[in-house]
Amino acid sequence: MIETDINDLSDDADYAAASRQQGPASFNRSDSGRRSSSGETEGAEVVYLKDNVTIHPTQYAADWISGRLKLIKQAGSLFMTWIPYKGQNSNARLTEKDKNLYTIRAVPFSDIKSIRRHNPPIGWQYIIVVLSSGLAFPPLYFYNGGVKEFLATVKQHAFLVRSADDANVFVVNDFQDPLQKTLSSLELPRAVSVANSPSSSVALSESPSSGNQEMTEGGAFNGSAASVRQNGTPRQKHNDPARDLHMQVLEKFSLVTRFARETTSQLFRESQMDGFLASERRRYDQPLVEHQSLVEHPESPDSNGSPKTPVPADPLEFDKMSLVWGKPRQPRLGLEEWSNFLDSEGRVMDANALKKRIFYGGVEHNLRRELWPFLLEYHPYDSTFAEREYLVAIKKLEYETLKKQWQSISHAQARRFTKFRERKGLIDKDVVRTDRSLSFYDGDDNPNVHLLRDILLTYSFYNFDLGYCQGMSDLLSPILFVMKDESESFWCFVSLMERLGPNFSRDQSGMHSQLFALSKLVEILDSPLHNYFQQNECINYFFCFRWILIQFKREFDFDRTMLLWEVLWTRYLSEHLHLYFCVAILKRYRNKIIGEQMDFDTLLKFINELSGQIDLNPTLRDAEALCICAGENGAACIPPGTPPSLPIEDASVYPQLEDDIL
Amino acid sequence: MASSGNKSINAKLVLLGDVGAGKSSLVLRFVKGQFIEFQESTIGAAFSSQTVAVDDATVKFEIWDTAGQERYHSLAPMYYRGAAAAIIVYDITNQASLERAKKWVQELQSQGNSNMVMALAGNKADLVDSRKVATEEAQAYAQENGLFFMETSAKTATNVNDIFYEIAKRLPRLQPAQNPSGMVLLNRPPAEKAAGASCCS
Repeated sequence: MIETDINDLSDDADYAAASRQQGPASFNRSDSGRRSSSGETEGAEVVYLKDNVTIHPTQYAADWISGRLKLIKQAGSLFMTWIPYKGQNSNARLTEKDKNLYTIRAVPFSDIKSIRRHNPPIGWQYIIVVLSSGLAFPPLYFYNGGVKEFLATVKQHAFLVRSADDANVFVVNDFQDPLQKTLSSLELPRAVSVANSPSSSVALSESPSSGNQEMTEGGAFNGSAASVRQNGTPRQKHNDPARDLHMQVLEKFSLVTRFARETTSQLFRESQMDGFLASERRRYDQPLVEHQSLVEHPESPDSNGSPKTPVPADPLEFDKMSLVWGKPRQPRLGLEEWSNFLDSEGRVMDANALKKRIFYGGVEHNLRRELWPFLLEYHPYDSTFAEREYLVAIKKLEYETLKKQWQSISHAQARRFTKFRERKGLIDKDVVRTDRSLSFYDGDDNPNVHLLRDILLTYSFYNFDLGYCQGMSDLLSPILFVMKDESESFWCFVSLMERLGPNFSRDQSGMHSQLFALSKLVEILDSPLHNYFQQNECINYFFCFRWILIQFKREFDFDRTMLLWEVLWTRYLSEHLHLYFCVAILKRYRNKIIGEQMDFDTLLKFINELSGQIDLNPTLRDAEALCICAGENGAACIPPGTPPSLPIEDASVYPQLEDDIL
Repeated sequence: MASSGNKSINAKLVLLGDVGAGKSSLVLRFVKGQFIEFQESTIGAAFSSQTVAVDDATVKFEIWDTAGQERYHSLAPMYYRGAAAAIIVYDITNQASLERAKKWVQELQSQGNSNMVMALAGNKADLVDSRKVATEEAQAYAQENGLFFMETSAKTATNVNDIFYEIAKRLPRLQPAQNPSGMVLLNRPPAEKAAGASCCS
């Protein structure tokens, strides 16, 4: 991976610096295992902590176990722990006891042979930790990124070198042993997965070894690893468990789709009772929502020519039922109705009712300026008029201070500040080509274009680590259009970026996790379509990249974009309605995609050219229906912390198992 | 890769280059004969195709237009993988964009298809008053690195069709379709992909 190569230079420099500083004397032989088992806990220091590090015992998201990874330093030795969260999945088939089997309890680095990191083009980065004994832990997936930091931290505290053979393998060496120090043996032993490794665990007595048998039978990963070993076929160097996973997906299709179908049937019955009886499909290549009254279909998506290839039926329509419909869209929330949501001092009395109302109808344009700050959680729902006025004033001052940071950079300073010049140059290039066809932004020397630039530059100082990234100007443009005010636009943008910032992370982890979740959702909601993508090398769903990165901004005109955004921002049914919205669009065009046997190139072109062609309200209804249809199984496709969810920082969300062994 | 038969060749071509160098504008000019003053930035990638006729064949270019920002660098291999040709674009009014172009050339030389036809395009040639990169400098660099070089203007259409035409002429003929085209995912062995290789239409 290219990115890896770039990182490598700094990695190694860090490592060299760290080893020079510390010197051999500080790398003590880790005989502290015995000491810690005797109950000594003094001097243990957590030097690295990462939440949402997850193992995938099976391909079913419901079985995935998230936990917290820690590096702990004690008495000069480094230990690794991974403790699963307690009670994470209500519908998980794995019991707490099963989870305990996977727990990694304070493994000293002296017992670790190597760490292999993987940067798959789709999905999360993960590492495989191989023990000196030749055993390996299951892959640890880093949902929130952090592999690089993990390795850097290890480098600081233990002896770690990159394998000469494979840049993604890091060999851990016992520094006290001069023979090992020569790094003569960099070969990886054949990786064999183990659920737990009692022999190397410091806290041996706490390992519930009696459960190992069950686990091997129950865990798909263990099963496949074991069979590989029996056949004597070495696991490939670049073997990716995701590949095994996908090979199993086909076999499991029936199970997954059956679940979706049962859910659908149930909903169908419910909807009959609710009077939302959908009419029977005559042919399944008709548009999903044919009775839509609010928005007319400019074209029937599948009407362009007859499919060349037989198209597998959409499983949600298979049983002659149409997709359960979302509720009819409502007119936009207007001023009078809005005032009824407020108490005399301006507090929103029932935030959920408000969100629900906006979810189903959106907001009249002249109200957006007042409502968007709530939806973006910049203004608290329970704040009064006076409190909000005060907040606006305070935030204005704060904005001015932030803005002065770059305004005060003189020409002479800028000449010595490459990063600043580059950022400013990038922003300058983008703001002049953002929505310039709109009268709000058109014409030479338009002040609103300057505002876009100033806000983005200020944001790149406010969040210097993230900086500016292409796509951000698309996200800011409607906000400035609505808020008009510079400071208010800035703070709304800040709030939006709290959720969408990971879309722009350098390692693309935010995008990868969303695309991955999308693929899982299509898998349960339209398995033949998923199957088609898989067979046609489209399984990375990169053709949906633009949709997700900038929230469909390029797919709709300005007004529809704003409507869609406020609906998504309510997070009324799901924080990830945008993913269901993606599924809804794909399902509307599934017959065309499959019928015309689109390959990745054609599909990307087709998807890009859907811009301006998608019916917003019917697709929203489909998305709502799909979200309900998928239910908990859908939610389980989306790992915690997937944007736009906030990263899980507050560990108290998940009660912990006994975490600090040392 | 390019594959041929009945003198009809499909060739995957990728455009790489700095932000705002004019990659999308070159494509728009070549494919649709249009120019938009404020062409919006490319998010992800865009795909389009256009056919040119050269002496002995018809070449259908399958064009991948990519996002220019360094942040999206890690996605680029997905798009240049298996490409038969690349146009590396810089902006003649921006010296840094030439440096970025050189990085792309290096990357393609080490990672790309060894038979890849590479062209260096110095775009915005109409902006002569703001020129920062001397023609000679880019020409010399191109020569040293086995690229062919043209200064182009998507705005005035200067040399736009020509650069694609030149590439078409230089594509290897009758090259067997041995490398997969398109995307490879999840570290699948390339063998599974062979069926997806492009062929004449």
